[in-house]
Amino acid sequence: MSLDGRPRPGEDRDSAPWWKAVREHELLVQECGDCGRPRFPARAVCNRCRSLAWTWRRSRGTGRVYSWVVNHRAFLPGLADEVPYTVVLVRLDEGAEHDDDLLFYGDLVDFDAAELREGLPVEAVFTDVPGEPATTLVRWRPRR
Amino acid sequence: MTGFRDRTAVVGVGYTPFSKDSGVSTLTLAVQAVLAALDDAGLTVEDVDGLATHRVGDSTPPWVVAPALGVPEVTWYLDQFGGGSVSHGVVAQAAMAVASGAARTVVCYRAINARSEFRMGGTGRAPAPVFDAQYQAPYGHFAPPQQFAMAARAHMNAYGTTHEQFGRVAVTQRANAAKNPRALKRDPITLDDYLASRWIAEPLRLLDCCLETDGACAVVVTSRERARDLRAAPVLISGAAWGGGDSYFSGAGSGAGGRTDLTVTEAARMAPRLYASAGVGPADIDVAELYDCFTYSVVVQLEDYGFCAKGEGGPFVESGATAPGGALPVNTHGGFLSEGYVHGVNHIAEAVAQLRGTAGNRQVSGAEVALSTAQPGFVLAGTSALILRRDA
Ligand SMILES: [Zn+2]
Repeated sequence: MSLDGRPRPGEDRDSAPWWKAVREHELLVQECGDCGRPRFPARAVCNRCRSLAWTWRRSRGTGRVYSWVVNHRAFLPGLADEVPYTVVLVRLDEGAEHDDDLLFYGDLVDFDAAELREGLPVEAVFTDVPGEPATTLVRWRPRR
Repeated sequence: MTGFRDRTAVVGVGYTPFSKDSGVSTLTLAVQAVLAALDDAGLTVEDVDGLATHRVGDSTPPWVVAPALGVPEVTWYLDQFGGGSVSHGVVAQAAMAVASGAARTVVCYRAINARSEFRMGGTGRAPAPVFDAQYQAPYGHFAPPQQFAMAARAHMNAYGTTHEQFGRVAVTQRANAAKNPRALKRDPITLDDYLASRWIAEPLRLLDCCLETDGACAVVVTSRERARDLRAAPVLISGAAWGGGDSYFSGAGSGAGGRTDLTVTEAARMAPRLYASAGVGPADIDVAELYDCFTYSVVVQLEDYGFCAKGEGGPFVESGATAPGGALPVNTHGGFLSEGYVHGVNHIAEAVAQLRGTAGNRQVSGAEVALSTAQPGFVLAGTSALILRRDA
């Protein structure tokens, strides 16, 4: 199995610094410059206080599985050698601490399918994907 | 929003045959469905001054269809970007155009070669270039069955919803389709057939997924006064609503705060506005055509449109309430799962047939008020719906 066939992220002008940090194996979230709430994905305004001021902050990278899908067909030809593949939706701990959500789609490494359950504690890991263009993916592994 | 309640009506419906390979262009499909709908209404192209559609780069816009048909003069048109979530909003906007005087007679159509040219299920097609996709597509997550599977799993985790309950949706709708000559899938299925069908995006199986279909469907909207002079019993556009807001990432956007809940769709927030627009409630609905891109979307809409409590959608289906003779017959034509998938419009057309009393051996007896709904708000976090009623 290789990740070379994965679609490459179509980053935009808001998200480019976030993807650059991922390639350096750092998981960032934005932090509102006025009310302090963290947010993800990258965007220009806080949807609580509407402040346009923000900074990047390094995340601890820990979270819990909220939901998941096990894909039994390759939805793109480049994914054929990964079937069946699992996609998880992870709720970052730092969002929960602010009565808010920081949700990340991702996949799992070093896990046994039988372990998968809502609330499973996970932590972010980074996998470099070669190819054209090279990229890096945030993935998740069970926290023990 | 009650400003156009009962002021406009659907006076014609038209279809092309449904198939896996139409062999013709979406322009041809559009023209065929529009002409069939006008014929059903007893109108001609000379009566048309408005055309409306929705599409996602996969169909032919009104400003191509109008000259192809020789529409004398277009005074209003709508080329709405979007998928199933906007389908009912297109018809609602046509009603607003007629109520405001911008147009007298609008034909709303959806023409799509969703199997032979542009597969909606994400089989080989590149992920859509939307804001969210960059955070999902690198994990192979972008197609509608995957997005609904994620929500279905959350619903199963939260409320104990079962595969068998999803299966009952598929089995019931296939039985309805057996009574519908237009339906692509008419052979009955059992719960065992359902449980034996292969996984697509677990927890969704093949028989949880709608049919990717080539075809077109059109409806004609005009004023109530004009409708009363036409040949068919007018079906009034009694209420309509739109909703939109959250994404499934962060911030539970719309000021509610707290956690994003995948088990609640945008339809839950919209439904009170929808019912208020028509001056009715869930108990007044005699028949419901609920957007069934997947079985799960029926289960969650039964909850979010107030027919049962949150988490009770599975048991509600299991009770038989949504089957013929039940308290709320749902997707009487077989739905997208078994009739075919024309991106929302064939639900409106079936609701019209039920309210006219022309649905043959699948007719819900005494149907006076119908709910027809769009995709409830996952993929682009928006939705729309209509309440239709028989003219008194
Ligand atoms: Zn703020």
